[in-house]
Amino acid sequence: MAAADSPSAALRRRDLCSRGIRLAGKMRSDVVDLLDTYVERQGLDASASVAAVEGVPAAAVERWDEQTGTQRLLENLAAYRAFRVLLSQMLEEHREQLGEADAALGRAMASVLLQVSAFAYHLEELLRLESRGPPSEEGAPPPPAPHLGLFERKLRGLGVLRELAQWAVRSARDLRQLTKPSPGSSSVPSRAESP
Amino acid sequence: DNHIQYERVGADVTMKCGSMDWDAAVTWTANGTDIDESHLNGSYLILKNVDLTHSGQYSCYEGSSWHLKYQTYLGVGTPPKEPVLMCRSNNYPKGFYCSWHLPTPTYIPNFFNISVIHGMREMVCEKDIFPKNRCHIKYLQLFSTVKYKVTLTVTNALGKNSTTLTFDEFAIVKPDPPESVVAKPVPNNPRRLEVSWQNPSSWPDPESFPLKFFLRYRPLILDQWQHVELSDGTSHTITDAYAGKEYIIQVAAKDNDIGTWSDWSVAVHATPWTEEPKHLTTEAQVTETTSASTSSFMPPPTTKICDKGAVVGSGAVAVCWTAGLVLAAYGVLFI
Repeated sequence: MAAADSPSAALRRRDLCSRGIRLAGKMRSDVVDLLDTYVERQGLDASASVAAVEGVPAAAVERWDEQTGTQRLLENLAAYRAFRVLLSQMLEEHREQLGEADAALGRAMASVLLQVSAFAYHLEELLRLESRGPPSEEGAPPPPAPHLGLFERKLRGLGVLRELAQWAVRSARDLRQLTKPSPGSSSVPSRAESP
Repeated sequence: DNHIQYERVGADVTMKCGSMDWDAAVTWTANGTDIDESHLNGSYLILKNVDLTHSGQYSCYEGSSWHLKYQTYLGVGTPPKEPVLMCRSNNYPKGFYCSWHLPTPTYIPNFFNISVIHGMREMVCEKDIFPKNRCHIKYLQLFSTVKYKVTLTVTNALGKNSTTLTFDEFAIVKPDPPESVVAKPVPNNPRRLEVSWQNPSSWPDPESFPLKFFLRYRPLILDQWQHVELSDGTSHTITDAYAGKEYIIQVAAKDNDIGTWSDWSVAVHATPWTEEPKHLTTEAQVTETTSASTSSFMPPPTTKICDKGAVVGSGAVAVCWTAGLVLAAYGVLFI
């Protein structure tokens, strides 16, 4: 593994960040389209307020500009791993509920799920470059989908997609921060600094 | 004591001369001018169906001594209509501002109170000294899905009114227009114009929050604009300008990911480079050069105009031309 501050590592990081930014942009665009379709197909009100949904990582953050590069990567990775599980659950519920009746919605969800997985992989690669390595996913299995009525499940799905759309914007910003040289130090902490 | 009272347009107003009895002999003045006795009922001053011209300083004097017994300022006006409120972030991600005004004047003093709620949290809106009808809020969180709720209440002596705006963090992001737009001809290139501009100075961090730009240009002789969307950089070379024609050019900006386009920048004018006209030659030179006469013809490209809807926000650079106009061939003639 290349040292975190070697030229090749820096190039690789820059390349991963650039591709990650483009992926986040595409992902956001697709999530916004999926949101429109989801709201329409599920008979929801697009302006409905959804309370914070348990288990859905909130993109909202205070003092965003003060975060370190490692914090950004770790928070992003935790979020997209959670979204991977949530979207898989949504897809499963959709198939159980509608079967092939709404294949287009199912395909759109599957496409977004794929992009979420790809983005999580990008983040894992960036963390590996920092010689930190991504946290392991082994251990406790993902929490099962809560037992909710049909309407509650639809609202939960709305909350998941809205939060994912926010994360896609935040992720692009986070990756741009990673490509910025911070004064006096690299934008991502070196091995000595990481926890 | 000097009093102040506010009354609605159209109201009937009765002014009592302080503690004077009804049958006391008094004189009323309005802005120093005596008021005719026909407006008096005893010592009371009666103003019927007041309008804005009735606003002013009213004074009551005891009949014989001319002692000032009572004074009041009368302000005739209206209760406030629903105010117009606007909120915008032109300095994302630092914060946003809200500004307001009344659709019609009340002609009497108004007081404005604004509250900003984000989820369970009430935020402080710091009022500007100038203009008075604006305040700023700093973002405490970014990337929140929780909406902001801004309520403006306007109150005056005759009533109150309010309005509420609810919006997402991203929806109100609208940069100021690009600054320092410059357009220059390109030497020896009769169809090019080089355009450059700067990020709006109010946008705090263009490196982390890059802007994309929309450029529009047209020759003054035509009404239809050409459009180019640019995802990075603060310059562009127009390569399809009509030779010799003066152009008007404007640029707008938008955050790469969120919000809406800015207003158009200040317009700049430029004309592509043109060749200097050749001087008249002597007969001897003409004999030598007659066979070298040339004409220069530059047919326009023949692509179609794009629909505006297809161009705006397309995310790709697109330049479209009309096929309707055909430039006349021009020749460089010399004797």
